Amino acid sequence: MILSPYFYSQAIKLALSQIWANRKRSLLTALGIIVGVASTTSVIAALSGLKTSVLTEFESFGANRIYVFPDRPDDKPRNLYPREKIRIKPWEVRELQASCPSLRAITPVTEFGVSIASDERELDGITVVGIWPDWHEAENRRVISGRKFNGIDEVGERQVCLLNESAIDELRLPSDAVGSHILVDGRRFLVVGVIETLQARMFGGDSNTAELFIPFSVAIKLQSTEFFLRVVALAKSAEVSEEAKSEIQRTMRRIRGIQPGDPDTFRAEAIDRYIDQFKTLASGITAIAAGIVGISLLVGGIGIMNIMLVSVSERTREIGLRKAVGATPAAIMMQFLLEAMVLCLAGGLVGVIIGKLFAIGLTLIPGARLENADVPMWAVFLSFAFSAAVGLGFGFFPALKASRLDPIEALRHE
Amino acid sequence: MIRVRQMKKIYRVGEEEIRALRGVDLHVGKNEMIAVMGASGSGKSTLMNIIGCLDKPTEGSYELDGHDVSKMSEASLALVRNEKIGFVFQSFELLARQTALENVELPLIYSREAGLTSRERTRRALHALNRVRLADRVSHRPNQLSGGQKQRVAIARAILNKPAILMADEPTGNLDSVTTTEIMEIFRQLHAEGQTVLIVTHENEVAAYCQRVIRLRDGLVLSDLPVAQDQAGQVIA
Ligand SMILES: Nc1ncnc2c1ncn2[C@@H]1O[C@H](COP(=O)(O)OP(=O)(O)OP(=O)(O)O)[C@@H](O)[C@H]1O
Ligand SMILES: [Mg+2]
Repeated sequence: MILSPYFYSQAIKLALSQIWANRKRSLLTALGIIVGVASTTSVIAALSGLKTSVLTEFESFGANRIYVFPDRPDDKPRNLYPREKIRIKPWEVRELQASCPSLRAITPVTEFGVSIASDERELDGITVVGIWPDWHEAENRRVISGRKFNGIDEVGERQVCLLNESAIDELRLPSDAVGSHILVDGRRFLVVGVIETLQARMFGGDSNTAELFIPFSVAIKLQSTEFFLRVVALAKSAEVSEEAKSEIQRTMRRIRGIQPGDPDTFRAEAIDRYIDQFKTLASGITAIAAGIVGISLLVGGIGIMNIMLVSVSERTREIGLRKAVGATPAAIMMQFLLEAMVLCLAGGLVGVIIGKLFAIGLTLIPGARLENADVPMWAVFLSFAFSAAVGLGFGFFPALKASRLDPIEALRHE
Repeated sequence: MIRVRQMKKIYRVGEEEIRALRGVDLHVGKNEMIAVMGASGSGKSTLMNIIGCLDKPTEGSYELDGHDVSKMSEASLALVRNEKIGFVFQSFELLARQTALENVELPLIYSREAGLTSRERTRRALHALNRVRLADRVSHRPNQLSGGQKQRVAIARAILNKPAILMADEPTGNLDSVTTTEIMEIFRQLHAEGQTVLIVTHENEVAAYCQRVIRLRDGLVLSDLPVAQDQAGQVIA
């Protein structure tokens, strides 16, 4: 039995006029759907806004940055991998620099605690960081006055340093500290530049700690021979960051002579990993929101079923008449299914509109990092799909009941 | 056109069996106009519903336009009702929220004819309304129409698909005598234009418009006579 396009247009028209004629009742009935769709789309909007700002954050953080650490395989005995064996050595970093064409910049970073002093003050246990000049590019840290490190500082093992503003404060140095001298572990260092303070970021990076940087070549002389270092590298672009990571892995395995099948004794990690973790978290929240919508749609669906049963019994005579003039059971069934679906879709539409308005409201909250909150297209489609499915699912039983009415009995109904 | 043989209809209400039809034989030829009469409960409506394909007989055969209808599926019966049968009810059965024109167009929603333009639908509905002389009430809703006008809309709806048979179960039962005449004139006109008509009635004035009168009693045909003889018999009785 094929129903004509005219049938469908009339059925939808009838459904709309039914909803309009009983608008209060329809509104109350669709409330479950409206609330469900509105709350879920709002949550999704908030999440998508958060995601956009977090991703932009990561982007400025450097999505193409790669870190390399020494790493002891978890499942192997400790004594097989002593500290000295897994420790990254400066020559390994130079080898990486030479062998990884996808890298734009690479630097070892070594940190150790010393006491430092100015004419005014002495501070204990300050973390000093030894770096190559490439560090400026790899970590994207600019100097706000003075100059960056250069190759001569490194090769000449010059006793120069960079400070951030809180280090200047703590040492009571003049605010333009360039040209001052400080003592690091008893040696005289010239302040050549002031490094910009890290902006407060959502993840990591405490801006208020004092930071002190010295050339790497100088830093290793101030430490024991078994000093520890990590590597910060920057891929040429985000697109080649995966490639850069595997270049690093290949090179490290080669120079450490790791046999195929043996585990890595180091770990190379791109910032993407953290993005992935955030995405996992966000999709977890989305799933929970979907669960909530599931429950409210179930509740809404029961309301729909109830109202459709009422509608069928109210319109029993009409159903009888339609059958008498030639409506098949399938046509009656389809008409009531469409009616339930139109009701649910109307509820879904109202819900989506409320969700959209809510999303606009979110963008206006100052400091909430939700400037980009919006209901994504897929959530709109999904809301409609869910609403239609609820109409279909919960409208089925009433529609079946209508389709099975006996025309004569239906026409005799009061 | 219509051939009914040994038709029985038994209703079961709990333990009880109600024999509404107990073996009816009937033949209706093309372009006949027949009245079905009989006391209340004699089975007139039951017979009409089965002939109108709204119900199925318990036993017996029913042939409509050369097809055995008594064993058809629900969906096929719906199609037969749509294409071959026009039914007029005592209480009009118009859809309250729709205009006269929309009410008349109703059977086209369920029509097998695909691709009817809205213009063609309107044309047919207007033609049907014209035949019941109601072309001036096209966009009125049922509550803006008199009883006789409502029944004329119902008749227009029944004749829309040019049915093989036009059936009416007490079409004038809710109408006064002036309006009854008005409605019967329309049936007479349709009959004159070639329509086969079957009318259930309690009123001799209504039967007088027909050519043949079938009287039922307790689910059986009591008499089946030309109208003149039937009316004469009634006068004697
Ligand atoms: N659905 C049903 N269930 C049980 N019995 C029924 C049913 N429909 C009709 N009957 C019985 O069948 C018999 C015939 O009923 P029917 O309606 O055909 O009579 P009728 O001649 O049309 O009467 P009226 O002139 O009052 O309309 C009656 O005894 C009635 O009670
Ligand atoms: Mg009756």
